[in-house]
Amino acid sequence: MKQFDLFGGEMSAKIETKYTSKIQAPIYEPKNKKPFTLELFDNSKTSRLITEIKNSGVDEDEKRFLIEAARRHTIFNYSKIADYYAHSSIEMQGLMERSALVIIDFEKAIEFGFVKLNDDITQQFLTENDEQ
Amino acid sequence: MNNNFAVFIITHGRPNDVITFDTLKKQGYTGPTYLIIDNTDKKANEYYKIFGQESVKMFDKNEIAKTTDHGDNFWNLRTTTHARNACFEIAKELNITYFLVLDDDYTAFDYRLFIDKAIVKPVKNLNDLFETVLEYYKTINAASICMAQGGDFIGGLDNGKELYRFSKRKAMNTWFCSTERPFKFISRLNEDVNTYLTLGNTGSLFLTIPFCSITQKQTQGTKGGMTEAYLAGGTYVKTFYTVMYCPSFVKAKIMNATNKRIHHSLVWNNAVPCIIDEKYKKHV
Repeated sequence: MKQFDLFGGEMSAKIETKYTSKIQAPIYEPKNKKPFTLELFDNSKTSRLITEIKNSGVDEDEKRFLIEAARRHTIFNYSKIADYYAHSSIEMQGLMERSALVIIDFEKAIEFGFVKLNDDITQQFLTENDEQ
Repeated sequence: MNNNFAVFIITHGRPNDVITFDTLKKQGYTGPTYLIIDNTDKKANEYYKIFGQESVKMFDKNEIAKTTDHGDNFWNLRTTTHARNACFEIAKELNITYFLVLDDDYTAFDYRLFIDKAIVKPVKNLNDLFETVLEYYKTINAASICMAQGGDFIGGLDNGKELYRFSKRKAMNTWFCSTERPFKFISRLNEDVNTYLTLGNTGSLFLTIPFCSITQKQTQGTKGGMTEAYLAGGTYVKTFYTVMYCPSFVKAKIMNATNKRIHHSLVWNNAVPCIIDEKYKKHV
């Protein structure tokens, strides 16, 4: 059921403008500055582990395995990575996308859909509670 | 209701206490509902008797276990991981593309809206709510989306900058899924967290919708299901599954609840790639 406010405007439209401005989809806005690649990850623990593995007495196969496993400790800074992506070449962007270092919101489906979802659920709530 | 959609309730050993089933009916859901049980359930016959042969779907736990990463070598099959994974195949057999996977202990589905003030009110027509959430799911390339849970809102909705300040990149409890977007749940314990973190880390999208939530019967307060497994190991053991899967961004931490307990703590900025607007993508 449609609702009208005192000035004849539809209530649903009012809800959209009044409340959805604070409803934010989890979209990241890249910064204007391109970070250095060194800022994108922290491999200090990985390096420490690899040094230890290389200096150990385990055989070469075991070393290869442990070194791959040590890379699990590399910390990636995904907001910096998104900043970097925004300022990268087409080729670099393609490689970053294939490695899933960013998620592209094509045609703002995630962002706009999220706001619309809030509006739709709000409308449903109002309709249900208006029927009482 | 969309006829290519069904609700799956995963349950084990408590045919007389499938709370979610009653909650769904009470709150206006009239679409197809299936109870997902496994072939080790001693109370299987009771499930069939109470809910009817057609509404109870049984899967072979050992078979699913063979293709599941448990995160340990205990071969302890007491986990909901297998049931969650079985749902994709069961949906295919039923010729259903979209399905919602629920646990069996939900006492309420609520609106969580902010209209001048925070509103928490029971949903009266779950058909419409599921349809609306499903429409969003269809338009984005997410592996799964979920509703929030009551605990997400502890501390309030608003930090002055935005509403719903908890992470929207998590996924728990109410999984909207599709046979066209299959994924595998992993690990014996904490399987929800381990799944959305390990897959999310490599680019699969999971989201929590904050505008509606479920209330679960108090954790470790119900008999059967996973209760005994969690009581036996405490939260200490399950936390370390997550640390093991994601050592670069998860730590074990003391959680300040009524009863202090160990819980996983993660840094989201190190966990999942950011979602950014298409305008930042360059073209030839």
